[in-house]
Amino acid sequence: MIEVKNLSGGYQKEDILQDISLTIEEGEFFALIGPNGSGKTTLLRLMTGALEPSHGSVYVSGKPIQSYSFRKKAEIMAVLAQSSHVEFDFSVEEIVMLGRYPHQKGLIKHISSRDKEVVSKVMKQTEVYHYRNKPFKWLSGGEKQRVLLAKALAQEPSILFLDEPTNHLDVKHTVDMLQHLKEHQKKNKMTIIAILHDLNTAALFADKFAALHQGRLMKKGDLSVLKNETLLQKVYEVDIKHHSHPTLAKPQMLVAPEKMEHPKLPAFEAEVEQNEQYIRIAYPRPLRVLSNAVVGGGLQWFRHFCNFHVPKNYDCEDPAADVLGWLEEANISVGDTMGMMTAVKLADQAFVRETIMDTAVFTVVTGGVGNAVDITENHPAEEEWQVGTINIMVFLDVHLTDGAFVNAVQSATEAKTKALADMQVTDPATGSMATGTSTDSIAIAATQQGESTPYAGSGTKVGKAIGQSVYRAVTEAVENYRHRISG
Amino acid sequence: MMELKDLENSFIRKFSVNKTVWMYLFSVCFVLSTALLGLFVSSVSFPLTAVLDVIAEKILGSELFGYEAAENIDVIIWEIRVPRVILALFVGASLSIAGASFQGLLRNPLADPYTIGVSSGAALGAVAVLYFQLSIAFLGSYTLPVVAILSGFITMMIVFIITRLSSRDLNIETIILAGIIISAFIGAIISLVIALSDREDMRQILYWLMGNIGMRGWNHVQLIIPFFIVGVILLVSRAHDLNAYALGEEAAGHLGVKVHAGKVLILIGASLLTGASVAVSGSIGFVGLVIPHFVRLIIGPDHKHVLPLSMLTGGGFLVLADLISRSIIAPKELPIGVITALIGAPIFAVLLVRERMKKG
Repeated sequence: MIEVKNLSGGYQKEDILQDISLTIEEGEFFALIGPNGSGKTTLLRLMTGALEPSHGSVYVSGKPIQSYSFRKKAEIMAVLAQSSHVEFDFSVEEIVMLGRYPHQKGLIKHISSRDKEVVSKVMKQTEVYHYRNKPFKWLSGGEKQRVLLAKALAQEPSILFLDEPTNHLDVKHTVDMLQHLKEHQKKNKMTIIAILHDLNTAALFADKFAALHQGRLMKKGDLSVLKNETLLQKVYEVDIKHHSHPTLAKPQMLVAPEKMEHPKLPAFEAEVEQNEQYIRIAYPRPLRVLSNAVVGGGLQWFRHFCNFHVPKNYDCEDPAADVLGWLEEANISVGDTMGMMTAVKLADQAFVRETIMDTAVFTVVTGGVGNAVDITENHPAEEEWQVGTINIMVFLDVHLTDGAFVNAVQSATEAKTKALADMQVTDPATGSMATGTSTDSIAIAATQQGESTPYAGSGTKVGKAIGQSVYRAVTEAVENYRHRISG
Repeated sequence: MMELKDLENSFIRKFSVNKTVWMYLFSVCFVLSTALLGLFVSSVSFPLTAVLDVIAEKILGSELFGYEAAENIDVIIWEIRVPRVILALFVGASLSIAGASFQGLLRNPLADPYTIGVSSGAALGAVAVLYFQLSIAFLGSYTLPVVAILSGFITMMIVFIITRLSSRDLNIETIILAGIIISAFIGAIISLVIALSDREDMRQILYWLMGNIGMRGWNHVQLIIPFFIVGVILLVSRAHDLNAYALGEEAAGHLGVKVHAGKVLILIGASLLTGASVAVSGSIGFVGLVIPHFVRLIIGPDHKHVLPLSMLTGGGFLVLADLISRSIIAPKELPIGVITALIGAPIFAVLLVRERMKKG
């Protein structure tokens, strides 16, 4: 355990750090974050005893750091510093062997078989073993960094200090190194204290965080430190948003430069292209969109919104690949496009453009009710992917928060269900009122201009606008469909 | 596949171990053969058996070959040649191990007693002692080496202070620059002293300054021995620490090296050796620079081997240089510093260029 109590210190007469107190538990991966010049390296050097504090003290396992002898200290803590200059042609193995120094007792430092064992083990772990006979000087920055890590690990420390360990490392070696350290941390109960510049890497690997700003400790704690956008804004003086990692329960930080806001749309006018195969709605710049589309599902930004027609007997083994193929055929930018599909004739579509309660809404619906379903009834659900029968795309000239997007989906769905009810659409299997069809798709797209709206449910103007527009469009599309079927 | 690789690696390791052993063997042979050569070759030549007999008689108490040596042969060999060779060995060994240590400590392959000003400082001290004919009571004849050592150490400290004031760390180029500035300044002071003096012996001092081990006897060997022993023990016991210094002082500290105390001990050890050498032989350049460099080139940078091997090779080298200096224009002698510079400077230039080319 490391305790830092009211620590102040710096270089010459000026204190860079002021009154820092924190506790680092045994076996923790502790990340120091903060902008350049915030005092992270100074704090690290004070904690390792390389720098004398002007006030306060550092305790390691309950004893003041100054009470440890040089050798004792080196037995329990190792440091991977930023600079990596080594004079003379020492080989990689010789450098790593220096890590055994604190364990070699006596006047004549004899290299024991255990020393050799540890050195070759850590060299293999850090993937430097295959160039162990090369002179250290000849290595690239990333290779040097890994050799110095191997040297630090050869000390077999229980506390490891790292000053920007992933500097010079590419993505693979960054992940490898930190993953490797993480394993060490878990297996050997090693305490890791690291200065990390990349907040996203810190979020993935560290357990605890301390944010420094102008020599002061702003906040310490778990991942909530990184999720605190106001704090990060204050510390880094730049707008930082967090977002959840797509596969891990970790936040990822995204910088939002002020000068890079998306250009204002001159008018809320879409370009509409329609033929037998697809309907394409295009805007001059991307819109933020939440959808369950086959291609581009989830919360994203897109410029093109396509709805492809497929035959009734469509083989839906890999619909996403098909949509991508069709986009390429039609020469529509793949990375910029959301794609849905439907077996409904595209001619039955409904376009509703209006401004409802000060909100400009454009809704596009293709609808068929052949597969109408009452979601509250218990007959077997379709296991396989089926062609969507009511596809709704709502385009709004508003600024929605992520939560408001979910509200908007809810509002659109309620309106759709109301429209089906008013048209007396029933579930053919049960005869009860249908709530939708078996494979409906929806997309809510917003320009994200103007004031941000936190809600878009039925109690709000935006919600009402969505509801009314969707109701009208679904009604029109289903009527077109019925008209064609009966006609 | 793996086995083959391992085999290859163990071969490389064995080879490098062998290289170190060979280097030790070579160095010992080099020292012995140069020493013999130094005893044998001279303007007045004696048979080898005569030379060996004199030494055997002095050391073992009985002659080996029963050569009937005349009394004057005995004196020439035992009172002149033997101390001269031994002095050359000590001075060469001292300068080389001091140079290797300075280079390791300062992480600077260009550092040596000469380039960082210790030699000039020591020379100034020595000149002062000779000029004023100083003798500190309890030191007696050791006044000369002690004053030389102290003034060498003080000069080195001044060089470090200048370096520290002009750049944040002990920057390689800045140290050398500061060393050269101080050396030039001291050189000027010494020249001034000599120019202002009308004493006859000053010319001799000037000649001595350029490095000379002629006309020295056993008393000079006695002067250097205690400092040599203490200095070598101080440095060799720090060989392992010197390896850690290659990573920088802070990193060495993180490895458990007592950085500050170690640094002081190494500087004291190297100053003792340099000062004592200058006191007995004047300032001899390039030995401390070229010899460690040459040794590192062959066995690598591990100070555990660099220090002792530099000592052996440097000692042998200086005996050889002395031999050349007194036989090249015999019966006159050149200052030995001229020879070491003539041999050392071109070798060092070649080494530097080779190093640069290796780096690409």
